[in-house]
Amino acid sequence: MTGELSSSALSCSSGSNALSHVYIQYPPLRCNVPGSRSLFYDDSNKLILSLTPTQVFSWKIATYNPYAAPSSDRISEGPVLSIRYSLDLKLLAIQRSSQEIQIWNKDTGDTFSQKCRSESESILGFFWTDCPTCEIVFVKTSGLDMYTYGTESRNLQLVQTKKLSISWYIYTHESRLVLLASGMQCKSFTGFQLSSAGIIRLPKFEMVMAKPEANSNPILAAEDVHIITVYGRIYCLQFDKVAMLLRSYRFYRDAVVQQGSLPAYSDRIAVSVVDNVLLVHQAEAKVVIVYDIYADSQVPISAPLPLCLRGYSRANVAASHTSTKTSEASESKNLSDTEETTYGDQWQFLVPDLVLDVSNGSLWKISMDLEGISASSSEVQLILEFLQRRKLDAEKAKQLSLAIVRTIILERKPVPMVARAMDVLLAAYSQAIKTGSYYKRSITEEISPSNAPNAAVGETITGIDVSRSINQEPESVTRNDSSKRSIMDGSIEKTETGDLLEPGLLGGEDLPTGHSQTLGPTNNQLNSSASQRNQSQVTSSAATSPADFYNYVFSPTVEEMMGDGSYLTAIIVDFLRSCSLEKLKVYPNTYVLLVQILARDERYAELGLFIINKIIEPSKEVALQLLDSGRQNQQIRKLGQDILRQLSLHHDYILLLVQDGYYLEALRYARKNKVTTVRPSLFLEAAYVSKDPQHLAAVLRFFSDFIPGFKSSPDHNTYHRFVAELNS
Amino acid sequence: MGLTSESDAKEAMKLCMFDLRRGQTEGQELDKILFFYPADLPITNQLSVIGLSEGLITFTRIFSPDAPCEVIEAEKHCHVFYEVEADIWMVMVVEKENPESIWRVDALRSVLKEIHSLFVMFHGYIRALVDKEPSGGLVRSHLYYFIMDFLSDFSIGKKLQLPNFRDSLKEQGTLQMLTVGREAAIEVQSLVTLLESCVGNKQCYSMTMFQDLLVSTNLSPIDTLNLFTYAVLRLTPIALFRGASAWSSLRKTDTACSTYAGALQVTSISAIDQYYNSHDPPSLRRHNYPLVRPLQHSKWSKGKDGFLTTDIWGTEVNSLLPMCPTIWLHLTEEKMFLLAYQHRGLTVILLVPVSSVSGDQGISMLKQQIIENASLKMLKVEEKLSRGWGGENAYHVSGYRYLLVDGDRYVSRASPPGKVTTLTKESLVALSKLREEVDLEKARAKWDNSGREKDIEICIRAKNNSWLIARLVRGKELYMVLEKGSETLLFAADATEKFSERYCNGAFSLD
Repeated sequence: MTGELSSSALSCSSGSNALSHVYIQYPPLRCNVPGSRSLFYDDSNKLILSLTPTQVFSWKIATYNPYAAPSSDRISEGPVLSIRYSLDLKLLAIQRSSQEIQIWNKDTGDTFSQKCRSESESILGFFWTDCPTCEIVFVKTSGLDMYTYGTESRNLQLVQTKKLSISWYIYTHESRLVLLASGMQCKSFTGFQLSSAGIIRLPKFEMVMAKPEANSNPILAAEDVHIITVYGRIYCLQFDKVAMLLRSYRFYRDAVVQQGSLPAYSDRIAVSVVDNVLLVHQAEAKVVIVYDIYADSQVPISAPLPLCLRGYSRANVAASHTSTKTSEASESKNLSDTEETTYGDQWQFLVPDLVLDVSNGSLWKISMDLEGISASSSEVQLILEFLQRRKLDAEKAKQLSLAIVRTIILERKPVPMVARAMDVLLAAYSQAIKTGSYYKRSITEEISPSNAPNAAVGETITGIDVSRSINQEPESVTRNDSSKRSIMDGSIEKTETGDLLEPGLLGGEDLPTGHSQTLGPTNNQLNSSASQRNQSQVTSSAATSPADFYNYVFSPTVEEMMGDGSYLTAIIVDFLRSCSLEKLKVYPNTYVLLVQILARDERYAELGLFIINKIIEPSKEVALQLLDSGRQNQQIRKLGQDILRQLSLHHDYILLLVQDGYYLEALRYARKNKVTTVRPSLFLEAAYVSKDPQHLAAVLRFFSDFIPGFKSSPDHNTYHRFVAELNS
Repeated sequence: MGLTSESDAKEAMKLCMFDLRRGQTEGQELDKILFFYPADLPITNQLSVIGLSEGLITFTRIFSPDAPCEVIEAEKHCHVFYEVEADIWMVMVVEKENPESIWRVDALRSVLKEIHSLFVMFHGYIRALVDKEPSGGLVRSHLYYFIMDFLSDFSIGKKLQLPNFRDSLKEQGTLQMLTVGREAAIEVQSLVTLLESCVGNKQCYSMTMFQDLLVSTNLSPIDTLNLFTYAVLRLTPIALFRGASAWSSLRKTDTACSTYAGALQVTSISAIDQYYNSHDPPSLRRHNYPLVRPLQHSKWSKGKDGFLTTDIWGTEVNSLLPMCPTIWLHLTEEKMFLLAYQHRGLTVILLVPVSSVSGDQGISMLKQQIIENASLKMLKVEEKLSRGWGGENAYHVSGYRYLLVDGDRYVSRASPPGKVTTLTKESLVALSKLREEVDLEKARAKWDNSGREKDIEICIRAKNNSWLIARLVRGKELYMVLEKGSETLLFAADATEKFSERYCNGAFSLD
């Protein structure tokens, strides 16, 4: 098929540029149903909602599957300003007007309307929450109203109100944080975090805005402020259009600290977070800049490159035409539209990593091309650290990490450089072991509806006890303390939990545990719904074990670098140093390899030193390799023998002694250590070969004395005759 | 044959080297002699020593062409023979008169071996020197200064003190190693690779020492031994200290540890030099060879940059900078620059092929590179090693006086000298005799069945009720003296077993 031939060539067919570090994968999820009026995103439940006059269709996107089929619920006709399911998916709230929110109970079919008490206030929006004291929060111009839904009374009961004047607000369920803008310029903010740990009010803070000229004050718009969650920390990015800067603020429990700013090259900026990596879309320049703000560094990971559309080709379209028969006639037209509409006005960026093309209802998931990123960077240490922090495609990150190390070895980069690279990987591995994430490779929730995807991983790992105890620490932990911690602490996991739970606002992060302990029946249902969504198994850690090093780095490189033993030895020694620094157990074959390399170069003195100083730890594998390599060198053979003896591998040791003709010593040893597994004929044969009738007789006598019934065995008769022959 | 009366009083030892390929016609006999100590011995006496030796060698060759005469035991003297190179022999004659003069032949021979191998390391093979200048002036002057410098290490007062029975818990010509933990060993190893990377792509060797003990090396065993011997004599911090205080070094009592006490013997260096000046054989004065005396005392010092410097190898023509020392590798016969860096107890010796470095400029660049890249790591390694070091009595095992020799690797470890001196003379003499026997047995085994190592086990109750134990297992040797043991053989066997299990990984436990 000609189509197939071309498909690979066209695999990255955004047309403009094949080189790209961030891509969207064809096909998108089609969210349009006939008669659809509008699309909504319910970020708490990860649902895309499409409305027809009488129905709401919802696509679960927690695990992104472009072929997912929607489920639907019937709704009554009327205007819809906003629509969200409750966290247990039993209630559906629809904002009908700026005065009214309607709540429909799926189970009972009851409908209930909540209206504003006075005409002067209007509802800006609402969201469901897992806060222990309330279930739904209305954001109104006059403040927040927090309600619980009474299952008995089937209506909302006001629990609490927070009075303040609000111009607009933003909320992400991921962070459980609602930011309320007020003031003339809308740059004064009040924040609340409504998490399972309770409600935390953030100190009021002002965002910085540059003034274009003396008398005009720009007004901050809601779309210029983004809440992002990376590594379990919450940041707010504010796009200052005048200064062309993206200012970032980090939220702590008791403070908001400005962190610096990222440059902006476009009048329209959008942000996404993929696997804790911040992607800043410069919409007009049509490029993405990738930042990993783990260590508060503001240096981009890679150069700005366009967003790429992957997997789309005419062949693909043709295939889907014929095979699935679900395609609409306009399919290919739509796609060419996509090309044109990349970063168009129709694109809505959804938290954290989705793009909704409102014009044709296609939902794209943004992904990172780790391979491309790692290939384009020459800073080995930085890129390895970056890769080790990846969790979404951890297996890929792991393979890439190993490939990088393998490559720098093959390229014969200086030993210290390779050593540093290995240090990074092994430190990450050791950390993963300590936190347990390495063993949790299977069945990690990718995304559960009720909690933040990235933090979920860290949280499930660290376990209940830890998070609980940290949580119970007094709130008086100062911010300085905490920020210091996060800087000093090099580890991902630790920082996450530490920052998450202790000083920061992220009560939301310990949701899974908080839920199971504090909430009632709803919670159980929630969990079950969550578990339904655990469809894919995700490797949660990119950590590379010493065994991986052997399999993917040393073993392949040794074959290719036959002639360069001393370089490889140096590399492996540094690897051992790294391992011992992190107190990791070295995969025994690594030692075998080292023995092979040294023996091949006939560096026997060094090999001896390595064995004696236990740089090469004793093991049976090592011993056997030494014996094998020692065929040219008696001393090396002896070292192998010594290891066998020290490890009490009696059987092998005795066989070896007999082989070398030390059969009397072997007998003595066998007697002392009660080894009976070696056949007597071996000893007898060895004694016979030595042509010493006395020795042969002695060996014969030994077995006659110590093995019952030996005298009647054929061995006895044979060798008895031999003794006689030798004597004659 | 006898000694003349005047030399008798002074020197009880004679040492000579002669070449059987020279001076074979009558009247030319003097030509054979390459070296003779004492140099002021009348020529006729010198010739009579050499004549006797040559005669014996020729005679014994008839029966044993491959291994002629090894030793003559006379009533009052003992002649130890050693063929250093084909047809070049060294003979040492020692007296037996003195109560201290109880010798073990192998120990004496190892002194001869040491002289030769060190000489070769610095000057190359004797035969090559002889061939280079057939008149013999060159080789004689080299040998003269070299051996005289070497012997000065043995001098106590006016006498030479050769290894005798008091040294029977000591093995000449072996390395003493520092036992390091795995972590430290890896750290050292990664320092070694770092140093290698400083040198670049050329093959280089290194030897790392801590105090007087070897830590790590990638040299061949023979080169390691030679360089180690030299380092202990002249380069280690202790050797430098001895040199700086202008004391004659006492190799006898303090080679393997840092006991400064007892080094208060007073044969100052200047006295030795005076000796040279007054006793230089006239034949040497005529020539003016550029002489390198690597064993000269007090010539090494630590520079500000941490590298050890010496002007032994002369200074460069255009500058006052001392030339970089060079040595020959045994196996490859390659000439190497010797760079020694010292930080406290740590001495790192780096050997770089002369062919790969462009003169002294290249050397100073290399030094710069090492200081920049590796000095921090050396600091760290030194710290780590000194933290793990138990001091001079680190390898003392209470209740035991022992000597452990690993013949395969030329490594030995012994009770610290300070502890050995607590043994009675009887025990030491008896042990010396025992070792003599074992040496013989070993030699016999070597002839009998080549390639197969003989296991030997000897326990002797000496007259003073001490236990003397010798065990040879597959190339490893263990000698022990237990003075306060009970009288049963079982006790001795138990003690050996315990020692073997605890300190030798069970290498000597047989049954």
